[in-house]
Amino acid sequence: MRRTSPLREAGLDLLTLVVLFLLLVPILWVFVASVRPETDITGGGLWPQRLTFVHYEAILAKKPFLIALKNSLIVGIVVAIITTALALPAAYALSRFRFHGRTFFGLLILGTQMLPSLAVLVPLVVIVRQLGLTNTLTALIFTHLALGMPIAVWMLKGYIDAIPKELEEAAMIDGCSRVGALTRIVIPLIRPAIIAVGTFAFVLSWGEYLMALALISKADVKTLPLALQGLFDPYSFSWGQVMAGGTIIALPAILLFLIFRKQLVGGLLAGGVKG
Amino acid sequence: MASRQETVTGARAASRPPGRSLLPDRWLPYGMIGPAVFVAFAIAIVPLCYAFWLSLQDWYMLRQPLPKWGGLINYRALLQDTQLWASFGRTWIWTLGTVFVELLLAMPIALLLNRETGIARTASALILLPWVTPFIVLGFGWRFLLDSDVGPIHSFLHLLGIAGDSSVLNDPVLAFATIIFISGWKGTPFLVIALLAALKSIPDELYEAAEVDGAGAWSRFWHVTVPSIQNTVVTVGLVLGILAFYSFDLPWIMTKGGPQDATTIVGIAMYKAVFLDLRPAYAAAISIVMLVLLFIASMFALRARRID
Repeated sequence: MRRTSPLREAGLDLLTLVVLFLLLVPILWVFVASVRPETDITGGGLWPQRLTFVHYEAILAKKPFLIALKNSLIVGIVVAIITTALALPAAYALSRFRFHGRTFFGLLILGTQMLPSLAVLVPLVVIVRQLGLTNTLTALIFTHLALGMPIAVWMLKGYIDAIPKELEEAAMIDGCSRVGALTRIVIPLIRPAIIAVGTFAFVLSWGEYLMALALISKADVKTLPLALQGLFDPYSFSWGQVMAGGTIIALPAILLFLIFRKQLVGGLLAGGVKG
Repeated sequence: MASRQETVTGARAASRPPGRSLLPDRWLPYGMIGPAVFVAFAIAIVPLCYAFWLSLQDWYMLRQPLPKWGGLINYRALLQDTQLWASFGRTWIWTLGTVFVELLLAMPIALLLNRETGIARTASALILLPWVTPFIVLGFGWRFLLDSDVGPIHSFLHLLGIAGDSSVLNDPVLAFATIIFISGWKGTPFLVIALLAALKSIPDELYEAAEVDGAGAWSRFWHVTVPSIQNTVVTVGLVLGILAFYSFDLPWIMTKGGPQDATTIVGIAMYKAVFLDLRPAYAAAISIVMLVLLFIASMFALRARRID
């Protein structure tokens, strides 16, 4: 970069820390409140002094919350697997073949990314009802595919584009089939990106609220965001428990995203993403 | 590029004994992209077409339980629905307000993070937290922070004289303004990262040339930085604007559209039309009108792009 004085840089670093703290403090506060005794939350001042995990114990002892945890894991993992399984061959086809409709199909998939869930909420709810799939995880899984699949296709295409075609050609001259070249050459080379894409699909499904709210009303198929809402019982709710539930939802999303940030950020900018 | 790749594929196909792969190379790409295209169709194209068909039906669970052809009946009802137009009006304020907050916060932060220090690099990773944290957590978190009994931010606003004894979320105007701010705060990281990428791609020579010509810091920002990032701002601003226009989660989780409809943006009005009023065909008409209005607005927004 250009010449800069160390003193000025230090001052700007300090300012960066202050700005970062101000931006993140609402989220930090959720985490902090989840490990404070209820009496401290309601009247213990700003600075936490006592540490407790009673709120986590309390919600993990609640059957509806555990069922929701299980449902969210099932939906998230299945969505991650299907998303990756659909996106990888599609990305390979877009990257390696020239065929009629290639541009159209590519834009169609990218266009799905730009379409917010709310825009298709009403018809999807009606369709799901007519198919008799309301209150099933199947319907939820299917709608959650839209969250991560388009971005997964475009990210993986970018990674496959970067692999020299000569590698596959060499394998095919040695007698490998086209699909064999994909599984033996391409997949091992882009494994980090594949894992990142699957993780991303999981994270998007894990926190999804609108479709779950619209399609699920029975307790035994609720996912975590709906269960968190359920903790907000108007007669006897505890802020500590709601914040602990919030932390359980937020933490995997945050950690997985930070771990795979390098692979994900470029793809996010390329296609925009649903919030 | 295209022709080169074609010849390579052709040579490859010729050099290989036939019948080796499951499908001939001509059909293989369709087989590979097919499932993903099917999902895109099933989740986007089919519902959009179905919404249009649905919007032309007369279907009101309480009066007309089975859908029958209604022509423009929903659109006629929609034109006279003053509450709905009020919610469309709020949605424009909401959308522009959200993007305004995002620009206001993201621009200085991006300039601050566009440095090569360890802290700036770490900060540009951690800044993504509001963007990746699910709405349900942020919604309840902010309700906690703004709660009149336990919320620390409520105490702060009370001290400043902005909030009275009850939470800002109970006051129509303040609730709307607060949730717009939260919506902008959530989207800011995305814009920061996009701006950062654009800032890093500006060649240093441009600044040096401007400096030689005697341009001050402000003039360099205005004549070098701003034109270089203008297209990023317009494109990403449009993406964030579309997301804001289709907001539902945040205002629903925080205030359920209240107090007194003050935060009922059109997404919430549509949700209520299906699930509370049981009028799916009317809701479908709302979603078609949303799509048309958004399309027109996007065309205007894209005019702000710089063409070199």
